[in-house]
Parts: sequence; structure tokens; C-alpha cells
Amino acid sequence: MKQETINSLKADCEISLSDYLESLEGLKDQSILITGGTGFVGKWIAEAVSLLNNEYNFNIKLYLLARNVQEYKEEVPHLAKQSFINLIEQDVRNVGIIPEDVKWVIHAAGSPDNRKHSINPLKTMDTFYKGTNAILDACLRLPSINKFIHLSSNNVYGQPIHPQTQIKENQLGVLDCNTVKAAYSESKRMAETVCAIYRNQQKLPIVIIRPFSLIGPYQGLEKPWAINNFIRDSILGGPIRILGNEDTIRSYLYGSDMAFWLLKALANGKRGATYNLGGDQPISLKDLSGKVTSNFSNKIEVLVKYSKQYPAHPSVSVPDTTAIKQDLDVKQTIDFDLALKKTINWYKHAGI
Amino acid sequence: MKHILISDPTLRDGNHAVAHQLSASQVAIYCQAADRAAIPIVEVGHGNGLGASSLQVGESLETDVVLLETARKHLTKSKLGIHVIPGFATIQRDLKRAIEIGVDVIRVASHCTEADITQRHLGFAREKGKEAYGVLMMSHMASPELLVEEAQKMELYGAEGIIIMDSAGAYLPSDVIERIAALVDGLSVPVGFHGHNNLGMGIANSLAAVDAGATILDGTARGFGAGAGNAQLEVLVAVLSKLGYTTGIDLYKVLDAADIAEKEIMPLVPIIKSESIVSGLAGVFSGFSKHVTRISNEYNVDQRDVYFELGRRKVVAGQEDLIIEVVLDLVKLKKK
Repeated sequence: MKQETINSLKADCEISLSDYLESLEGLKDQSILITGGTGFVGKWIAEAVSLLNNEYNFNIKLYLLARNVQEYKEEVPHLAKQSFINLIEQDVRNVGIIPEDVKWVIHAAGSPDNRKHSINPLKTMDTFYKGTNAILDACLRLPSINKFIHLSSNNVYGQPIHPQTQIKENQLGVLDCNTVKAAYSESKRMAETVCAIYRNQQKLPIVIIRPFSLIGPYQGLEKPWAINNFIRDSILGGPIRILGNEDTIRSYLYGSDMAFWLLKALANGKRGATYNLGGDQPISLKDLSGKVTSNFSNKIEVLVKYSKQYPAHPSVSVPDTTAIKQDLDVKQTIDFDLALKKTINWYKHAGI
Repeated sequence: MKHILISDPTLRDGNHAVAHQLSASQVAIYCQAADRAAIPIVEVGHGNGLGASSLQVGESLETDVVLLETARKHLTKSKLGIHVIPGFATIQRDLKRAIEIGVDVIRVASHCTEADITQRHLGFAREKGKEAYGVLMMSHMASPELLVEEAQKMELYGAEGIIIMDSAGAYLPSDVIERIAALVDGLSVPVGFHGHNNLGMGIANSLAAVDAGATILDGTARGFGAGAGNAQLEVLVAVLSKLGYTTGIDLYKVLDAADIAEKEIMPLVPIIKSESIVSGLAGVFSGFSKHVTRISNEYNVDQRDVYFELGRRKVVAGQEDLIIEVVLDLVKLKKK
């Protein structure tokens, strides 16, 4: 990775750090374990911690647990070679012992890529259920634990109860468990239930975070999400394909904002709380395609492909982030337009 | 006015009808005619698709490279499409090269219950910015509910449309309506239908599909294709126009293209032979017909019995080696 690209990630973290420095003091000289630590979430937290350590002397130690650490070393050598990063190669389902100095855990293991869930639905369920069970069990063996963040998903909401409004944490909708798509959503719900059991019976200090759509470097343009496909197709010269209802509404949070929201939740989240995490600027897929193409100088065609006429009122998958903002005083420091521009620039530099 | 996207596999499905012996010059002639008619997608290749030339399913006269380079040279308005069955076609050996040659449309196909195998090929096609569709072959062998689930997987993998094939020509219009309606309801992306004519239902089934919500149809010139042939393209274009649908295809020029195809590339215009009717009733892949006829004649077995037995055993494309097994079993029975 070019130094210029690395510097841009650091600059993003500087913006997202905002005025949180004092509130993050509790993480100074601490050790944090991140399961699934080599993925999108883990890489952005490592970038954020790199800033805190190198510029503000936080001296945080990161343990990144993942099944394949070799790829990580090759992909992000500027992170892998840092002395504060410790890589542990292990399947989360088999975790028994974690380093004794760990007092903070972010459980982010398991891919949100729905192609993988469809190919391997039983493994998906196994990873989220047994993996969550194993890591929580391992936490019980630690001398002490200050906070456990369980990274859940907006998929637990299913079909929203009020489809036209932003979703609050207590508005769990309907999930059809008898479909091929259900493995991920159902196992994420099950993993939350496992957390509730450990919180209640073992008194573990668990906070659940439900991320909505995210955007930014490290996500991978091959991922099967609309915004990634729009950017990839635009870089290739188009056309962009909107598949399904073009009025579907989403919102996006940039990677560095996500990282600091998670660190804030780790340091300051209320035990037992559940927080949505996501952007607060709703945008339809149609408008999104327009914004993506406006970042390119060449004319890019936009095609809409659908199987049927859709209802006049589109589905909205946008979080109500009142709770996390009130409790943790976080904000979206990189607005959507800037986030999109940064993401596109990053992928243009990275090449696809 | 509703638009129907037409894909023309005359130079791919038609290759089944000539034991994959279409020549480069024949490909060039038909591509020029199809391009003049503004047929949106012209599919080219071995009958079983990219990388399929083999002893098992038949060796092509021309290599994939020759077929695709020839077609590419002669298609300017029409998009160049390929049929890709993972297993026959590998990403590294076949798909990359096809993309380098300049294919526009990649249709990744699997048996109707095996959509899982299409994930990497569909993903690769989309990553390269190509128009990518999922195709479920022999779709009469799965229930509507199962078809929807398999199609949903293909949609997850990146397919921007799902086409079901009546590979055995086994459907009646009511079967098509039931399946297409279920797919339209269960998917976000457009749904298509590829009809065969074993029971004389090629056009009727295609129209039933459109009535049920399909917006993509396949048809071949004079119905040139496996077994009794496909839904006849020029008839399809004419009838769709009469019903008020647009296809973007020039009627006179597609009629000309069909005349040219008949003269230049077809040793025989497909008709519904007795064995094709049996194959449709038995639900056996139309591409088996030449093999079944040849082996049945060789062993003096009634090929109608062979079709019904193959249907009973639920054989699928790629299991051509089972034909001889079935024939030998029938010979044994005869001796008893």
C-alpha cells in the first residue's frame, strides 16, 4: 500500500477522533481482543488505535484473532508490523484461552457476506452460535473483564414493523426462518440471545452493537452490496445496475467513524445496552447511483432491473441512532458525500 | 408498452443439432444477419457452453476462441453472449479468455437444484463488469418452491436476471405460469424463460411465461436447437409484436436472418420427431437425442423405451454415459 494511501487513512481517523480523546482515556495501557480482527472492522480499529498510540501515547495492545492471518500480513503490512498488534490464528469456535491481560473484547467474527451464508448456511450458524458461546466462555476464565462488545447486525430486525421510518433498537420486525436467506439473520439473533444469557447468568458486561450499512476502504468491491457494486461498475466504465427496487432507502457510516463509535462503546457503553450504529443520511438507491456517477468525469449509464412493480412506499433500512448518540455522545464526522468521495478515491488508487 | 429482452442461442443451442460442428464461416454469416436485425443478445459456443468440447458431450469443430473471435468480429449492435456451466468452464482457463475476446453477456448455468456451483463464476463475471445472468437448467425437475430458493441464491451471487430452461421441452403452459409467477414473486431481478419444442409448446410456453411476468425470452432461428428445437425466434418476435410487446428487433430482418440460417447453417430444419415427443414426455434433456438415436440403433433397442427409462432415472446433462448403461439393461431385459 502506498504511503499516500496510508496517510489518507490516518487523516480519516484524525477527523473521526473528533473530541473523544478524554472519553477514551479508560483504554490507555489496556489490551483489547478483537475476534474477526483481520476484517473490515478489525482493520479500521487497528488504524484508529494506531493513531491513538502513535500520536496520543495511548499504549493500547491489540490482539487480532482470525482464521487466516497470513493474508492480513500481506494486505496491510503497515499495520501487521506495528508492535502493538498481536495476531492470533484460530477459529473463534475453538477459542479456549485468551491472553490474561485482555480486559476488553470486541466480538466481530463472522462474515456479513450473504453469498457465503448461502453457500454454507450451517457453517454460518455454527460460527455465530458456537463462536459467540466459545468467546464468552473464554472471557469467564479471564481474571477480569471490563467490557464485551458483541457486533450483531441490522439483519436481526427482519421485515421492519414500520417500514417507512428509521428503526429503533426495540423495533424487532418479522423474520421468516424458513428461507434460504434466514441462516445469517437467525444466527445473529441467536448470538444476541447467547449474549443475553451470559449477561444475565454470568454477569458479563456485554454491550450489543447493531451495525447498518458501512462504507469505506478495506470493504472490498467484490462484496455483494449495492454501493460497492456501483463504485466497481463505475470504475470499470459502467453501466451501473440497480437490481430490484430503486427507491429502497439505506444510509451509510464511514469506516473511521465506525471504529471510533466502537471504541467509544467499549470505553463508555452501558452494560446491557443495545445500540444501533450507522449513518443518519437516508438515500435511495436511485439517488445513490447518481451520487456515485457524479464522482466520475465520464458519463456512466444507470440501468434498473427488476422482476415486478414495487409498492409506492419503499422499504427503509436506516437506523435510529438516538440511543448511541445520547449515551456515548458520538457523531457522524464524515458525511455521506465525503465518505463516498474518499471511498472512490481509495479504490481508484488501490486498483480493482 | 412492455419490453421483452430477447436472447438468441441459435449458434449455441443449435450446435447441439449438428453435433457441435458449426463452422467459423457459419457463425460469421449468422452473426451478420442477427446484427442487422438488432437481436439484443447472440449466444455463441458449444452446445453445452464454454469449455464443454469433450469426448463426453461431443467435440466441437471449432475451438471456443475461434467461435467467439469470429462472432465478436461480426457483432456490432448485438451483444455477444456465452453459456457457462461451471465444471465445463473454468474461470482461469475459459472465462478470463472469453472476457479478453470481448463477450458482453455471461449466463452461468447449473442443473436446477445446484445453484451453489455458480457462485464463483457469477461473482467473477460481475467483478469484471459483465452482464451476468443465472440459468437453471432442466427446471421441470424441481418444484416451484425449490426453483425460487435456487434462483434466490443466484441473485445473491450477483445474477442480474434468472432464466429457467425447459431443457427437455416437458412443460405445458400451466407449469410455466406456476413457476414463473413464483420466481417473479420471490426475486428482485428480472425472470426469463428458455423454451424447447418437444411437445409443440415452445411459443405457447414462452407467451405463458410473459403473461406470468417474465421479461427475458430465448428463441432460435427456425427453432434450431437440441432435440425438437427451441421456441422459434422469428415467430416469437412476430407474436410478441402482435401482442403489443417491444423487442427492439426488426421483423423483416429477423425473418431474413432465419432464412439465411436455414440455408447456411442447418442441414435439417428441426421438426418434432416421434422420439422428441417421447423425450418431452419423459423429461429427458433434448441434447441427448443424437446419442440416444445412435446407441439405440446400434443395439437394436426401441429408443422410446430408452427415453422413458432415462426419465425414470432422472438423468441430467453431463450424464450422457448413462445412455449406454440404460440401453444395455434394456438389451438384457429383451434377452430374458
